[in-house]
Amino acid sequence: MVKSTMPAENGQGPLTETVYYVLLALHAPLHGYGVMQLVDEMSGGRVKLGAGTLYGALTTLVERGWIVPVAGAVGDRKKEYVITEVGRDVVAVELERLEELRGNGQRIAKGEPR
Amino acid sequence: MKVTTVRKFYWNFEKEERWLNEMAAKGQALRHYSFVTYRFEPSRPAEWIYRIELLPDDSGKPASQEYLAFMADTGAQAVATYMRWVYFRKPSVDGPFEVFSDLDSRIAHYKRVLLMFTSLFAGLLPITIVNITNITRGEMTPVILALALPAVALLLGVEALLGTQALRVTGKIRELEVRKRLFE
Repeated sequence: MVKSTMPAENGQGPLTETVYYVLLALHAPLHGYGVMQLVDEMSGGRVKLGAGTLYGALTTLVERGWIVPVAGAVGDRKKEYVITEVGRDVVAVELERLEELRGNGQRIAKGEPR
Repeated sequence: MKVTTVRKFYWNFEKEERWLNEMAAKGQALRHYSFVTYRFEPSRPAEWIYRIELLPDDSGKPASQEYLAFMADTGAQAVATYMRWVYFRKPSVDGPFEVFSDLDSRIAHYKRVLLMFTSLFAGLLPITIVNITNITRGEMTPVILALALPAVALLLGVEALLGTQALRVTGKIRELEVRKRLFE
């Protein structure tokens, strides 16, 4: 159920679409190109991450501790990343926010019964 | 392979990028760039999409090398690097190719370009001013004056072009920042 009266649980603001989708994609280890492909697929081709934008996002997310690099397979120089516990919490908070947005949108813009 | 060499200079990297893509559309694929010299090799028409980026560091620096390796892993080949500029290309069969996909990273890139233009502008300003004051003092012999005048004209010309680019890029940043009030 949508709890529209619930205040923000912490100081976390809305995530950018790039960050949100990168965090989702990294629920299993992936390298950069894998993230681009998965996000493209998940969004039905709507979100095409630029490699430059993705590189910046990965760097920031590692600094934040929301994702970590994992040791790749032997001989594979492509760095893989995976989401951390902190990252999962961030996604959980964001998901609640998105549900609130969606719920209110359905109710008001689409005129669904309260 | 028949290599075509074109000597050209661009102040506007976006016009340059457009030109490279027009050349690619005609089957002339950039393979090498160094100062004012572009080398093209024949390709199938529109085989490649080109994108130009200004890196935060010199292209030889480890941070840049790491970035270029990452880009290569995503299929974006750095065909040429020149100082901090990189010329990427990706096969057009892979679909659209953009280095940046959100407003934040596009703004950050433009700001990098703006800083480069303003630093160059500021760097040339003192010698431009010194030269102008020397000329206006009227103490130069005709021979010195004959040398100083073209030099100052050149400096002023370069400053004007740098200033124009700085203003153009500032306009782009403003445009994206206005857009950012509504969108990501």
